[in-house]
Amino acid sequence: MEGFVAQKLDDYKAGKIGRRRLIEMLTLAATTAYAQDAKAAASNPALKVALVNHVSYSCANFQQAADWYSKIFNLDQVGATKNDVALPFGKKGDKAPGVIASDVPLTSLIIRSRDLDAPARGETAPRRKSRALVNHIAYTIADYSKDRVRAELKRLGYPNPREDGPHSFHIVDVNGYDVQISGIEMTALAG
Amino acid sequence: MERFIADLVADLDSGKLDRRQFCETIMLAAAVYAAGEAGANAAPAQGLKTIGINHISYACPDYRKARDFYAGVFGMENAPTMDTGKEARLMFGPGPGAGGTFFLPRNGTTATKAKAVVDHICYTIPGWDEAKVRAGLAANGLSPTGRNGSLHVYDPFDYDVQIGNAVEENAFRR
Repeated sequence: MEGFVAQKLDDYKAGKIGRRRLIEMLTLAATTAYAQDAKAAASNPALKVALVNHVSYSCANFQQAADWYSKIFNLDQVGATKNDVALPFGKKGDKAPGVIASDVPLTSLIIRSRDLDAPARGETAPRRKSRALVNHIAYTIADYSKDRVRAELKRLGYPNPREDGPHSFHIVDVNGYDVQISGIEMTALAG
Repeated sequence: MERFIADLVADLDSGKLDRRQFCETIMLAAAVYAAGEAGANAAPAQGLKTIGINHISYACPDYRKARDFYAGVFGMENAPTMDTGKEARLMFGPGPGAGGTFFLPRNGTTATKAKAVVDHICYTIPGWDEAKVRAGLAANGLSPTGRNGSLHVYDPFDYDVQIGNAVEENAFRR
């Protein structure tokens, strides 16, 4: 894209295109260059996942847990039923950071109370007993700084969060579940 | 974006920006645009704002089986330098540092003192094609349950994995 920008700038300076045309072309290029990359990457294979849709969190008192996550992470609660509620990571119409595709909704927490020994909805066979455990979820928060997050956690009643590297802390939620709070600098390649 | 670029061109014309600065700023703007609206990612004046899942820590008896399953079936990318022989980091979604997530299978205990459990994770597949999705699962020996646009399978350790599209799995459509 950089070559394209330079070429159009040359054309503009040489009087080959006008100011309005330059702006239109650069706007189009800037808003589609990465989208084309993302589309190409997602086209193969057919099962390639793009984002976490939701994390399903089960506990005895879903409303108590939902209120805890709403308080700590500033999350709204939507679509409540008598035994679950969703907490999307943003408002309706928002897009997740870095997501270009129009058919990838915001990630949500779905917090529920249900009998995990009972068959899943619409099924007759009981759920299998997992031999794996998701022992914590790490949440990326905006504008992470160690001092700011530490101060916020103290204000929220967590004066001694466990520090884990330069970009994260751990606390436990209302059910004793391990919650990691991370900056965007914590990635698969670092941190 | 258009207004931003118009201002940049004005700065270029007035000499506030040189050619290199102009090109660099356009490139940066494109990257920021791809990473989402900057305003949407700003923290509130007070409190923490969650913008995504950073990673999922998954303990199991043999991380290699989980690694191969999630990479092979769902296209997650193993970060080779982070595979320690005891755990791996599988990247998916936006790039590292741009809102991307990683799945972290690791050898470890599955006992817990917590009074809550993450009983499944659901992943979004864009451009959902029901026939291709089901064929892809079948090709990997998986028999899904659920309904069109929202399917469940079990991974090698019988952990429930859900995949869905934006119509069937969307918090704002509940």
